[in-house]
Amino acid sequence: MRDTTQKLERWLRAGGKRVGQLSITPANGGWELRHADDAERNDLAQFSKCDDARTLANLDDAGAFRPLKTAPTLRHGWRLVLPDAHSLRLALEYFYPAMLGVWLAHSRGEVTPVELHDTLARQTGMYRITQKLTNEQAQRLIAKQCRATSCMKTILWRISRDVTVPLLPPGKFRADAVPAGTMPLLCQEACNFLVAAARKMVKDETLAP
Amino acid sequence: MLTQNAMFTKPDSALVIAGHGSTLNPDSSAPTWALAEEIRRRGVFGEVHCAFWKEEPSFRQVLHCVDRGDVYVVPNFISEGYFTKTVIPRELGLTGDATRIGRHTVKYCAPVGNHARMTELLLKRAADIAPGVPPEKTSLFIVGHGTDLNENSAVAAKREVERIAALGRYREVLSAYMEEAPLIAEWDKLSTSPNVVVVPFFISDGLHSYEDIPVLLGIAPESPGAASANRAAVFANNPYRLRGRTLYYASSIGTEAGFAEVILDQVAAFDSSHPA
Repeated sequence: MRDTTQKLERWLRAGGKRVGQLSITPANGGWELRHADDAERNDLAQFSKCDDARTLANLDDAGAFRPLKTAPTLRHGWRLVLPDAHSLRLALEYFYPAMLGVWLAHSRGEVTPVELHDTLARQTGMYRITQKLTNEQAQRLIAKQCRATSCMKTILWRISRDVTVPLLPPGKFRADAVPAGTMPLLCQEACNFLVAAARKMVKDETLAP
Repeated sequence: MLTQNAMFTKPDSALVIAGHGSTLNPDSSAPTWALAEEIRRRGVFGEVHCAFWKEEPSFRQVLHCVDRGDVYVVPNFISEGYFTKTVIPRELGLTGDATRIGRHTVKYCAPVGNHARMTELLLKRAADIAPGVPPEKTSLFIVGHGTDLNENSAVAAKREVERIAALGRYREVLSAYMEEAPLIAEWDKLSTSPNVVVVPFFISDGLHSYEDIPVLLGIAPESPGAASANRAAVFANNPYRLRGRTLYYASSIGTEAGFAEVILDQVAAFDSSHPA
């Protein structure tokens, strides 16, 4: 059996302190989470249950739903104090779903990135038409949907073997391009948000004219 | 209704609850997350995870998060159709009831909507929303999605109507749909009782239960987003008096506490039909 909680704790003890927009610091024998922008604030609302993370992660500062948790829109004004690494792991699953597991799997060489064309090729139903997406459309789409102001993940996949995304900076595709103490947020495969956006692009640009 | 799971614990196994999720509102995935929290609290499994089609963790990512090798996946879906037969198996990489994927053995259970206890949960919702209203003077509607190219929810709603009707409690029990006949929009023509109770047969409240069905019933304005803007009001304003009847409109059943037992039952049922 793997022990993700133990790996997380080891990372923290070795100086791990940042996941996405979250800052993690030792507190009362456990761990405290807050928005990294709020590091100096002492007027934060305090929470103490790992399930509180679901509420904190769901809405941005303006109260809008955050379906994509790796969007750089984490709300401010709170701190979450958790008793141990187990609770912290559960809370991270709300703030940055799957990111701890994918990172550990990637560090063990177990993540096989899937090219966008393969992701689209297996779509059925309402998303089948995304197979009509051209390379040029894919490049524009990814540049818009996956840019740092939309999603903080590092892209591990390509459009296809020989097709890259020149419209985004090279660092967007490098898993090692994160500062020390920061857990990378890794994208192994185009998400449903991108697939849904591809459907809209094909409908608007290819099928509608 | 008997449950099979009264005592089992599986500390060496993981549970993954597979839901639909939404890019529009958090209420779609909320019942699935709440179920995971409840089952985690009971300590039945060594670990409990969620995975979604429209949110993260996705079906593609979730196995990276599962420490234990033995994994039960229970779809938190009403109907056995496109999502449970096509999307979830494809995205997880399943080839049968039990599939070896890397270091995991994934055991694919029946969706919650197949469980016999759905009938009890629908009846509870109907009774709770119309307290003191005599069933013998009441028509009960179970509302499914209906034809959507890939959905199969009509079958599930019809099955529940047959089960509830067989109990003989309500004056009449009817299935109706958003997008196919019999249409829920014609509820007053389809039913004959002075009281009408409408229960949506959906896992979670969302666009369909907040807005689409209330508009079709005539209890919410047609302007897009108007009903969703004040979600709770559509349930808090019961009963509605219109078209010469008294109408009670219930929320979706996925938040009923009994769903945790249903999930555990689906795991027990998998084990019963697949002896080690």
